[in-house]
Amino acid sequence: MDELDLLKKDWQKKGDQLPKLTYNDIHKMTWKKSSSIVKWILIISILEIALPNLLYLIPSFRQSMSIYENTIVDKYFLGMTVIYYLVIFYFIYQFYRRYKEISVLDSAKGLMRKIIRTRRTVKYYVIFSLSTILVFIAIVIIGIYLNDSFMDNFTEMAGDSNSVSPEKLKTTLMVSMAILGVVMIAFFGGVYFLLYGLLLRKLKKNYKELRKLEV
Amino acid sequence: MNNELEHQFVTELESNQNIVHKVCTLYTNDRDSHNDLFQEITIQLWKAYPKFRGESKFSTWMYRVALNTAITLYRKSKRRVQTQDYESVIFKIKADEYDATQEEQLKLMYKAVKQLGDIDKALVFLYLEDKDYREISETLGISEVNARVKMNRIKKKLRTVLNP
Repeated sequence: MDELDLLKKDWQKKGDQLPKLTYNDIHKMTWKKSSSIVKWILIISILEIALPNLLYLIPSFRQSMSIYENTIVDKYFLGMTVIYYLVIFYFIYQFYRRYKEISVLDSAKGLMRKIIRTRRTVKYYVIFSLSTILVFIAIVIIGIYLNDSFMDNFTEMAGDSNSVSPEKLKTTLMVSMAILGVVMIAFFGGVYFLLYGLLLRKLKKNYKELRKLEV
Repeated sequence: MNNELEHQFVTELESNQNIVHKVCTLYTNDRDSHNDLFQEITIQLWKAYPKFRGESKFSTWMYRVALNTAITLYRKSKRRVQTQDYESVIFKIKADEYDATQEEQLKLMYKAVKQLGDIDKALVFLYLEDKDYREISETLGISEVNARVKMNRIKKKLRTVLNP
């Protein structure tokens, strides 16, 4: 007799050794909240889309942005904001569409493919967001370099323009901006890839396994 | 209306709960994880239940949702943690059928099955549940030929466990 047939015979008699849940036990479970990876992808994505935009609502952040008023940065800023939000809405729409396609009734491979596709939308969004930060910081640095009135605004705000030479202040500001940009991108990028890496490690392994079968 | 649907669902799941327990037994190693996975499968089944139109049997429909949850959606994976106590409770042989050699063989087989990867486990599970290759291939999303080839490889692998 085949070894697996022996196992099959035994397996099918397992019923009375398995735990038995009552009607009430099961009923209670239907009211519990899911903790599936799809739910987590949704939560993380909402946070990722909301957080950078919520930043602007913080009064101190808005105040610090006001130093760019009437500078070269200000002109670019409006145009960039419009493009930024258009792209963001496109990502939200695309994410929603793909998220809705995820169905537990799909085949295992189909389900995994759709989750990976949804996640890919978020990945592109994150790459876009990080690039926006980079472009924004680059524009600010160029703004500082080209525009002296910008420095006047800044030194007025700092209130102590005599002790440091304007050139030195300019260079320090530009270097600090560049460092801030790199640190921010490294931090957000790191958090993102770590989060999704951990969340989807099992799924990716299984998807690879299923795809290997088709070769 | 919703209460009626809920009652219908819970009643059906209650009478078919063995399928879910078997999936949980294969994919988890301790009682907490078993209950956790059972709960997640129940939630997924309930969420998808309004789409269940009765074209197939409730149990057939359950296999797909239960396996998809265990393989893909379930987050807290505590696989490959050795907790023999629990396994021996689930996989013990009934006293009236006691056969030392057979018991030893089955124990080894179950242990080997539990050490398989998630996809291989799903294949073995559907095979043990007496599903045909058409259903196995549809559930996993692979071709029937590939399901057969893979199953033969797993059989070979399990055979070497018994006859090293």
